[in-house]
Amino acid sequence: MRNVRIINGIPATKSKYGSHYGEKIIEIGGERYREWIPWRSKLSALILKGYEIEFRGDEKVLYLGASSGTTLSHLADIIDEGVIYAVEYSAKPFIKLLKLARERENVIPLLCDASKPWLYSGIVEKVDFIYQDVAQRNQVDILKANADFFLRNDGSFLLMVKAKSIDSTAEPKEVFDKVIERISKDFLILETGTLEPYHKDHIFILGAKI
Amino acid sequence: MYRLWFGVFENELKLAADFKNGFVSAVNKDLIPFNIAEIGTKVLGKDYYRILRRVAIEVAEKKVREEISSDERSLVALVKALDSVEEIINVLKKKKEDLIDDAISERFDEAIEQIKKLRGEIEKEIDAFMAKVAPNLCEVAGAKLGAKLIEKFGSLKKLAFASSNKIQIVGAEKSLYRAIARMKRGKEAKMPKHGIIFLHGFVRNLPKKKRGKMARFLASKISIAAKIDYFRGELEEELAESVRKRYEELRREK
Repeated sequence: MRNVRIINGIPATKSKYGSHYGEKIIEIGGERYREWIPWRSKLSALILKGYEIEFRGDEKVLYLGASSGTTLSHLADIIDEGVIYAVEYSAKPFIKLLKLARERENVIPLLCDASKPWLYSGIVEKVDFIYQDVAQRNQVDILKANADFFLRNDGSFLLMVKAKSIDSTAEPKEVFDKVIERISKDFLILETGTLEPYHKDHIFILGAKI
Repeated sequence: MYRLWFGVFENELKLAADFKNGFVSAVNKDLIPFNIAEIGTKVLGKDYYRILRRVAIEVAEKKVREEISSDERSLVALVKALDSVEEIINVLKKKKEDLIDDAISERFDEAIEQIKKLRGEIEKEIDAFMAKVAPNLCEVAGAKLGAKLIEKFGSLKKLAFASSNKIQIVGAEKSLYRAIARMKRGKEAKMPKHGIIFLHGFVRNLPKKKRGKMARFLASKISIAAKIDYFRGELEEELAESVRKRYEELRREK
């Protein structure tokens, strides 16, 4: 993947910026890399498991559930010539996200509720890619609402699903089946897989507009 | 008419006088049929993203500061309201039992039902605020108990700085001081095992002998959860899992 390299069995992203959340900086051949530990980030786990998502580097991305910006900082390294709209609802981690946004020219921070896309409909443009990791019960509805508003017709999305946050008592497998079934009603599913052993009871769904 | 962060579009674009105002009121119920950035770049030139980013950061900085303090205040107010509402329900129920007149008694039932509905709504609000203010505490203790603990201690900060044994017995001060007083006199005394964390299903549902162990473990995890919520604010998934595991262990233990 663009700007990503596996160093000593762990992904890292090429970056001219310093450490954001305490990750190691590695220098190889005059280039600086930021270590991207798969246990901290679902996207890193996905890459380490061998899945590929192609990026040109100048995409427009909508990131839902940016939290304090751990994964976002690496995605900003990958999409270094694009723009990432980072949505996060909770004020506490947003403080750290703001620190990242002040440093990175390609990050636009939005302190908004991702389940109400109309509140930022006049800010976010049409995007090529939606990355969603929100750990909320209604995550499928959130994806659908945001895709309706912002996803280009040829755009794709990556959804991280946590079984426990949808139904904490049901079997994860059942929850995943239900989510996949609901998503496939509105979208084309390109690939799904688990994030074991790095993230327990999580799957990812890579999809596109029909 | 479409409200964009840099102006209002209706056949043609009217540029906003203040982008920050435009930013917070860029709300549209309908999908926007054109690309915002395209129109924006026409008006603002190649600086479009630079300006957007600056405005976004300025708006967010202000909002973050306001929200952190106001969310917690709303939460505390909601918990106090919930306490009062629960008290009212209990009082009404008690008074109803004394009544002889059936017609009036029925009116009481209706009133109680309505207030119960209100209680449900308040609880929902507490759930939503807790997920935002203290996600870890919400997972470990549950929204209601977590909120009650924040209210009891006064703020998330005070809860985060409290020791775990204080968390374990908060709400049982009376029996704690009674026990201490008895011990000072050299008499046998029963230390309370739990205060309001007795509300947690994992403590309540265990046999009496095991409740103390569970309460101690739960209190220590609540303490950690509050600290993460106060300092970092990100969800740590393993924490709630460890509490569940300990509960299962204790339940099976003979």
